[in-house]
Amino acid sequence: MSSNNGLYPGLNLGSVHDEAHQQAEATVFGFWVFLMSDLIIFGILFASYASYLNPIGMAGAPGPQALFNLKSVAIQTAFLLFGGVAYAGVSLSMKYDHGAKKLIGWLLICALLGGGFLFFEISDFIDQAAKGGKPQASGWLSSYWLLVGLHGFHVFSGIVWILAMVGQILTRGVDDVVKVRLSMLGVFWHFLDLIWVGIFSFVFLVPLA
Amino acid sequence: MSGQSSPTFGNLDWEVTPYTDLLEHVNSSTIIGAGAASVLVLGAFAGIALLTYMRWWKPLFRDWLTSADAKKIGIMYIALALVMMARGIIEGLVMRAHQATALGALDKAETGLVAPDHFAQLFSTHGTIMIFFVAMPLLIGLINFVLPQQLGARDMAFPVLNQVSLGLTAAGAGLVMVSLLIGDFGTGGWTMYPPYTGLDYSPGEGVDYWLWAILISGVGSTLTGMNFAVTIFKSRAPGMHLMRMPLFCWTSLCVAIMLIYAMPALTVSSAMLALDRYAGFHFFTNASGGNMMNYANIFWMFGHPEVYILILPAFGVFSEISSTYSGKRLYGYTSLVIASMSIAVVSFMVWLHHFFTMGQSAGVNIAFGIATMIIGIPTGVKIYDWMATMWRGRVRITAPVVYLVGFFLLFVIGGLSGIILANPSIDYQVHNTTFLVAHFHNVIIPGVLYGMLAGVHYWFPKAFGFRLDESWGRRTALLFVGGFIFTFMPLYVLGLMGLPRRSPTFQDPDFLPWMYIASFGAVLMLAALFCLLWTFWKSYRHRMSLSVPGGDPWNGSSLEWSTPAPVPEWTFASIPKVQARGDWGETKRAGDPWRAPDSYADIEMPANTAHGLIIAGMAFALGFAMVWHIWWLAALSFFAITAALIWRGMRVIEPRIIPARQVEEEDRRFREYVAGATPITRADEESERNRGVPDCSEFAG
Amino acid sequence: MTRPNTGELQPEEAPGAELKSYAVGLLVSFLLSAGAFAAAFSELPTNWKVIIICLAALLQIMAHLRNFLHLNFSGGQSREDLLLVMFSVCLLVIMAGGTWYIMSDLSGRMHQNGADHAMERPAASQGL
Ligand code: HEM
Ligand SMILES: [Cu+2]
Repeated sequence: MSSNNGLYPGLNLGSVHDEAHQQAEATVFGFWVFLMSDLIIFGILFASYASYLNPIGMAGAPGPQALFNLKSVAIQTAFLLFGGVAYAGVSLSMKYDHGAKKLIGWLLICALLGGGFLFFEISDFIDQAAKGGKPQASGWLSSYWLLVGLHGFHVFSGIVWILAMVGQILTRGVDDVVKVRLSMLGVFWHFLDLIWVGIFSFVFLVPLA
Repeated sequence: MSGQSSPTFGNLDWEVTPYTDLLEHVNSSTIIGAGAASVLVLGAFAGIALLTYMRWWKPLFRDWLTSADAKKIGIMYIALALVMMARGIIEGLVMRAHQATALGALDKAETGLVAPDHFAQLFSTHGTIMIFFVAMPLLIGLINFVLPQQLGARDMAFPVLNQVSLGLTAAGAGLVMVSLLIGDFGTGGWTMYPPYTGLDYSPGEGVDYWLWAILISGVGSTLTGMNFAVTIFKSRAPGMHLMRMPLFCWTSLCVAIMLIYAMPALTVSSAMLALDRYAGFHFFTNASGGNMMNYANIFWMFGHPEVYILILPAFGVFSEISSTYSGKRLYGYTSLVIASMSIAVVSFMVWLHHFFTMGQSAGVNIAFGIATMIIGIPTGVKIYDWMATMWRGRVRITAPVVYLVGFFLLFVIGGLSGIILANPSIDYQVHNTTFLVAHFHNVIIPGVLYGMLAGVHYWFPKAFGFRLDESWGRRTALLFVGGFIFTFMPLYVLGLMGLPRRSPTFQDPDFLPWMYIASFGAVLMLAALFCLLWTFWKSYRHRMSLSVPGGDPWNGSSLEWSTPAPVPEWTFASIPKVQARGDWGETKRAGDPWRAPDSYADIEMPANTAHGLIIAGMAFALGFAMVWHIWWLAALSFFAITAALIWRGMRVIEPRIIPARQVEEEDRRFREYVAGATPITRADEESERNRGVPDCSEFAG
Repeated sequence: MTRPNTGELQPEEAPGAELKSYAVGLLVSFLLSAGAFAAAFSELPTNWKVIIICLAALLQIMAHLRNFLHLNFSGGQSREDLLLVMFSVCLLVIMAGGTWYIMSDLSGRMHQNGADHAMERPAASQGL
C-alpha cells in the first residue's frame, strides 16, 4: 500500500503539513484512549450484567424469556450495522474530496440509520416496561437497563455529534480541524457498533440460548 | 431538611445550615460544626476582600483562571490541594481529639467532643478530601508542571482539556466544601458502601454530596490520564526516546495508564449507587435482587489502582531527588522502569484484598493474597535502587532529602504491614481495626505526602524563581516525620488490642494512653502544616536573596533545569534535541551548556480561554442541583455544558503567537545573566551565592 | 491548525480498495450476525449455541476492528492503536474476568442449597 498507510482513514491533510499531521494523529490517538476508558465502563457493566443474571438477581420479576423480542433486536442490529458502514461514505468522501454536499449527505444517512436503531430500541424499552420489566423491578433489570440504555445514550450522543459536525461543516467548511473531528466521530460511530455486537450476543442471545 | 420539596429550591431550606443545629442544642459538637462553617464563610469573604483590595481579580482571571498553560494549571492544582489539606489535617486533629475524650461505657453511647454522626461525617470528609482532593490534585498538579518540561514539550497534548479537568476537580472539591455550610456530608466513609448508603438507611443529601463530588472530579481525572498518556506518547522532544525519559515521566505514564483504566470503575460504581438512590434501581439494595457485594467489587477495582496512582508519582520524585542531591546518576534505571510498569499492571490484579472477609472461598482469597504480596517485589527493587543511588554519593541534607530519608524509614514499615495484611488469615484478625488505619496512613503519608512535598520543594524555584528556605523546609519535614510517628504508630497497637476503625466511642480504658500519644502526634502534624505555610511566607519575604535566575539551583540533569527560573511561558526558546538520558547533565559534562540556539522562531501557544471556568461553574451547579433535587437547575446546567462544548466546536480558534523577537530577547538576557554569574559548587548550594548557575566541572552524575 | 485542505493524495490511491474492504467487512458482519441469531433460534444443545454465539461475536469484533476501524500491524499509527486496544482488552479481561470469578464464587457460597444451586452457571448447566 501507499506511504499513507497507517494514517487514519479519511485523514488527508496533505503531506506538506507535517505538524498538522502530528497534531491530528495525537488528537485521534487521544480519542482512542478515551474510548478505551469507555470500553472499560462497558466491560464492567457486562460483567455486572452476568452477575445479576440468575434467579436471585431477577427476584421474581420478568426475565429474558418474557421480555426480549429478538426480532426487534435483529432489526436494531441491521440498522446499526448499516449505519456503521455508511460512515465509510463519510470517510471516503472526506479523503477524496468529494465536496461538502456529499459529506453532509452521508452524515445524515448515518444519523438517520442511528435514529432508526433508537426508534426500535426505545419502543422495546416501552414494551418491556409495560410488561413489568421496569429497571426498578429487579437487580437484573437494573443492570440490563443501564447497560443497554448507556449504549443507546451513546448512539444518541453520536447523532447529536453528527448534527454538530454538519453545523460545523456549514459554518466553517471542511478545514483540518473538522477533518480530524470527523475521523474521531468515525471511530466513535464504529465503536458503538462494536459494543452492540457484544450486547446482542451476550445480553440478548446468550440468556435465551 | 424538612419533608417537602419545592420546585424552585428542591430540598433546600433555611434549616440546612449547622447554625440551626447550634440554635437547637449548644454543645461541643454543634459548636465545632458551626465553627467550621464560619471558617469557610469568613475565609471566602477574606479571600474576596483581599482580591478586591489588592486589585487582583483581573490578573487572577487573565493570568491564571483562563490560562491553558500546563505549568500554571499544575500550580493551581497544588494550591487547591494545599487548601483542602488544611481542612483534612484539621479534621484529623478533631477526630483524634474526639477519640481521646471518647472513653464511654456500655450504657453511655455518646461520649467525647463530637456527636457520633458528626464524627462519621468527619472521617468521611477527611478520607474523601485527603484521597480525591489532596493527594490526587497534588500529584496531578506536580505532573502537569513537570512532565512537559522534562519531555521537552511546550505544553500538554490537549491544553484546554487540561483546563477543563482542573475545573472539574475544583467543582468536586467545591461541593465537598459547600457541604460544611449547606446540609450534611455522608457518613459512609470514603468508600460509601451500600446498603448503608442506600436510600433506606441514608436518606438526605449526605451521600449525594459524595456521589456528585466523585462523579464530577472523576471525569476530570479520566481526562487528565488521557492527556498525560498522549503527551508522553506524542509530544516528546526529538531524540527523547522512551528509555531516555527521566523516571518521573515513566511514573507519570504509569499514573496515566491507571487513571485511564481504573477511574471508569469508580464512575460505574458511583453511577450505579446514584441510580439506586435517585431512580429506585436495585443494584445494591437488600431487596429485589440487589447485591451490595458487587459494589465492593467494582469500587476496589478502582480503589486499589488508585493507591498506586497516589504512590507512583512519589516514587518518581524520589528517583529524581535521590540522584540530584547525591550528585550521581540514578542507579538501575532500567530496573526502575520495569518495576514501575509491573507495579502499574499488577495493581489491577489484587483488588480483592480489600474485602478478604466478605465471604468468598479460601481459594479466591489466596489467589489475590499472593498477587498482593508479589507487588512487594518491584517495590523492594525500587527502595534498593534509591539507596544504591545515594551510596557513596555526596549527599546534601536538604529538605527533600529529609523527606526521602523519612520515607525510607517509614514507608518500609508501612509496606511490611501491608504484606502482613495481604495474608488473608491475618487480615481476618485485624480487618477494619485501626491496624489498617495505621497501615494505610503509613504508606500514604511517608509515601504520597512526603513525596509530593519533597517535589514541591525541589521544583519550587522553577515555578517562582526563588528557592524555599532550607532550614524551615527541614523543620517542616522533621515535624511531618515526627508527627507521623506519634500519630499513627499507636494505632497499630490499638488495632491489635481490638479497636475497630471509625469508632465514635470505646469502653476499654487501656486504650487511653495510646489515644493521648496519637493526639499529641496530630498536634505535631498541625504544627507541621503551619511550618509549611511559614516556609512559603518566609521564603517569599526573602525572595530576592533566594532567587535563582540561572534556573539550575541543584545542578540537576533533566531538561527542565536548562531553562531560566521562573520558567517562561513557552518553556524552551527552541525545542531541545535530546542526545542522551539525562541530556542536560551530559551537556554540562561536555562543557558550555548554555549555548544559544542558532535561530528563533515564532511560538504558537494555546490562546487563553474561559472554557474550563465555564464548564467548572456549570458542573458545580449541576452537582449542587442534583444533591438538592433542584431539577430545573440540573437540566439547565447539563444543557449549558453541552451547549458550551458544541459552541466551542463551531468556532475557529486561533493560537496565540509569541513573536520570535520577544523570545530571542528574553533568551539573550537569560544567557547573558548566566554568562555573567559566578558558578557555585554544591557545597554552596544553600548559601545566597546560589543564583541557579552551577559549577559544571562538578557535575559527576 | 486551520489550514485549508490541500488535498494531496498519493497518485496511485483510489477509493476502490477501501470500498472493497468495507464491503467485505459488511458481508462478514452480516453473515456472522445472522449466524448468531440463527443459532439462538435453532434446536442445538445450549452449550453449542452459547459457543457459536460467542465465537461469532469474537470474529465479528475482529472484523470490525480490521475492516471498519482499520487497525492492523502494518506499522505507523494503526499499529499503535491496535496495541492500545490489545492492552485495553488484557486489562478488561482481568477486570471482567475477576469480577466473574469473585461474584460467582460469592453467590455460590451465599445460596448453596436447594433450588438456588442451579443459578451458579445460569446458561450452561441447563443443556447438559
Ligand atoms: C495529617 C494528619 C492526619 C491525621 C491526624 C489523620 C487522622 C485520621 C483519622 C483519625 C482517621 C479515622 C480513623 C478511624 O476510622 O478510626 C483517618 C482516616 C482516614 N485518613 Fe487520615 N489522617 C491524616 C492524614 C491523612 C492523609 C494525608 C491521607 C491521604 C492522603 C489520609 C487518608 C485517610 C483515609 C482514606 C481515611 C479513611 C476514612 C474512612 O474511614 O473512610 N489521612 N485519618
Ligand atoms: Cu489495595
